Amino acid sequence: LFPGVRQAQWLTKTKLVEGLPPAVQGILDSPAHGLQELEERAKHAVSHARLWDTAEVAPRREQYCPVLFENLIHICRLMSGRYPSLSKRMLARDCRIAATWERESILLQVRGLSGILMNSMTPIPPVASKEEILATKEHVLETFYPIAPTIDLQEVNVYKELNDTGQCFGDGYPYSHPHTLFFLESANVRTNRFRPEQLRAKMLMFAFGNALAKAKELHGNDPKVLEQPVVVQSIGTDGQLFQFMVFQLNTTDLVSNDGIKNLVWIDSDQNLYEKAQCVPEVKKGVVTKPAGISGFQPDTFKKFLALYLHGTV
Amino acid sequence: FNQRVHAAATVEEKLRLYGKLQRPKYTVYPQTFALNADRWYRSFTKTVFVPGMPPRSAAAKPPVAAAGTTPEAARGPEPGAEAPGAAEAPEVAKTVEPAAGAAPYLDMGELRSLACDALLQESFYQKKKRPFLYRDQDHTPGPFLTQLVSTLAALLSGRNPLLAASSLDLNPEVNFYWHHGEETVVHGHRKGRVDPVRFQIDDNPHLQIRVPKQLPEVVPLESDLGEVPVIDHKPSKLPLFKKQYENKVFIGSKVADPCCYGHTQFHLLPDKLKRERFIKERLEDQIEVVYRSNGIASLFAWTAAQAMYQGFWSEADVTRPFVSQAVVTDGKYFAFFCYQLNTLALNAETIKNNPRKNICWGTDSKPLYDIVEDGNVKGFNDDVLLQLVRFLLNRPKEL
Repeated sequence: LFPGVRQAQWLTKTKLVEGLPPAVQGILDSPAHGLQELEERAKHAVSHARLWDTAEVAPRREQYCPVLFENLIHICRLMSGRYPSLSKRMLARDCRIAATWERESILLQVRGLSGILMNSMTPIPPVASKEEILATKEHVLETFYPIAPTIDLQEVNVYKELNDTGQCFGDGYPYSHPHTLFFLESANVRTNRFRPEQLRAKMLMFAFGNALAKAKELHGNDPKVLEQPVVVQSIGTDGQLFQFMVFQLNTTDLVSNDGIKNLVWIDSDQNLYEKAQCVPEVKKGVVTKPAGISGFQPDTFKKFLALYLHGTV
Repeated sequence: FNQRVHAAATVEEKLRLYGKLQRPKYTVYPQTFALNADRWYRSFTKTVFVPGMPPRSAAAKPPVAAAGTTPEAARGPEPGAEAPGAAEAPEVAKTVEPAAGAAPYLDMGELRSLACDALLQESFYQKKKRPFLYRDQDHTPGPFLTQLVSTLAALLSGRNPLLAASSLDLNPEVNFYWHHGEETVVHGHRKGRVDPVRFQIDDNPHLQIRVPKQLPEVVPLESDLGEVPVIDHKPSKLPLFKKQYENKVFIGSKVADPCCYGHTQFHLLPDKLKRERFIKERLEDQIEVVYRSNGIASLFAWTAAQAMYQGFWSEADVTRPFVSQAVVTDGKYFAFFCYQLNTLALNAETIKNNPRKNICWGTDSKPLYDIVEDGNVKGFNDDVLLQLVRFLLNRPKEL
């Protein structure tokens, strides 16, 4: 899938809100979580991933992107010493997701490897108030006339309509609520990586797919407005730039263009650091750029942690 | 040469000069099918092997509450046993009850459920493709170990502040290069000269935890707990083969990393060293040898590299012992090792007057569970879990 976010919005009948939802913002702003002390550790995590992890001079993106992710997740996981209910989470790698829905008589399907999925035992509570959800009724979805909205989508003869939370987990799986999806764009060659816009669209489609599959599992296959909206988060990165997304599925009635819409909050293009210098740059015998991480932005890590803690604290 | 290394300004410079000269050297593989490899490895590294676990100070042992929950597979709604404890996060550790009130008792039930959850997730719940040929260890035991350790360490970080400042490495590289013994060069333009025998270990533990502070010593530096085996044959009889390549010393991260001491390593035995293979070839006694040689070699390389990162080397011997731990497993059977490095002086000149020996404590391999069936883990062994928890809770006395 290579659509832009606007196209993804039309396909998933979603209204876009810039920035992160108030619930997550609340976690960010509250000092009780001790986010300040973690800054130092986050900086070490970045240094480790970008500078120290290898016996060679500099690790390549294929290596440092997953290592950075693991380090950040390790710091987040260590919070379960303070919030023990955080341990009711499970990371699942390489799970497949499949969800089907109909949009204005076009049958759409999301399939594929959805990166790394973090499941939790308890669902994330809805982040938008009832009024906001009702207000989406008035929102008109952008159309792309004369371009058909399904441009750039692969048309495939699907013989089986699959709806499965990742087809991944058997019955009775205790960690049944998808919490956050992580996408790591770690290909070394730039053309193999998704551009930020495409990555955001991919995040939206997969978050939608997971939420839809979960909603159908909980409430059945009939299209309707959900009493309890399903919230799934998404974080995508290429090792330096982070995209944060919170998706709330309000309705499974996706055939028509009116009515309640789904909501997505996107905080895009957040840099975690400016530059990682492995070897000091020396011009004419003078060190112009010392080795190390420059331009570290702790806020980006705080958002990462806030999304991790969301739903539990 | 020695003067230059002594006088080197930074540790990186020392390491660079130490390994500058490249000559053919024996590559020692920690995971090997060679018969009685652990005896050979002990003689290469001047290590004494003491069976069992080292005596622990009373303070480090957390009282374990009588497990309230029945040892069942962690599935299903866990009874609300608030366990302060040890979250043995087996991959599927499902219900890790938040330790409420931080009672000094480790809740075995919680840890157990955590472990079972992890186990069940990787082996039962998550639908995976078939394992790659001869790479069974990547399919289930590998992810199980990762999940178990990461969740367990996270949960235990509330009790062990050292873990809270730790760094977790997945699939790191550990290398060490040293000289031991002497031989005469057989052929080539340097024929007839007496050369030190060079060894290099290149290890890839599955998981390792590095911490910013050193683990406390187990026994004093000069203790003598046994004999180091002396083997008269050449190392190539083991079999060991020579190769010439870069002499690397690496603990998993560069010298600049603040987490420069090792805490625990986790090794996964590959499919070709599985127990059934040894039983089929009627070599049952070699099963334990595999675990022991892995423990000794890997831990020697790790502790010695840590010591070199602090500036010690074979001419400047360590002034304090370096201690690290390791768990070697094939997914079901776990063996625990603790290593204390007392000396780095292993080459021919320095070993003559050196009474110190390195010490390795180790257990035999024990199963963590019997079988996973229908979403239930049967025959869960609490002792193994407890040992793992004790390992993770190990920390310097002042913390």
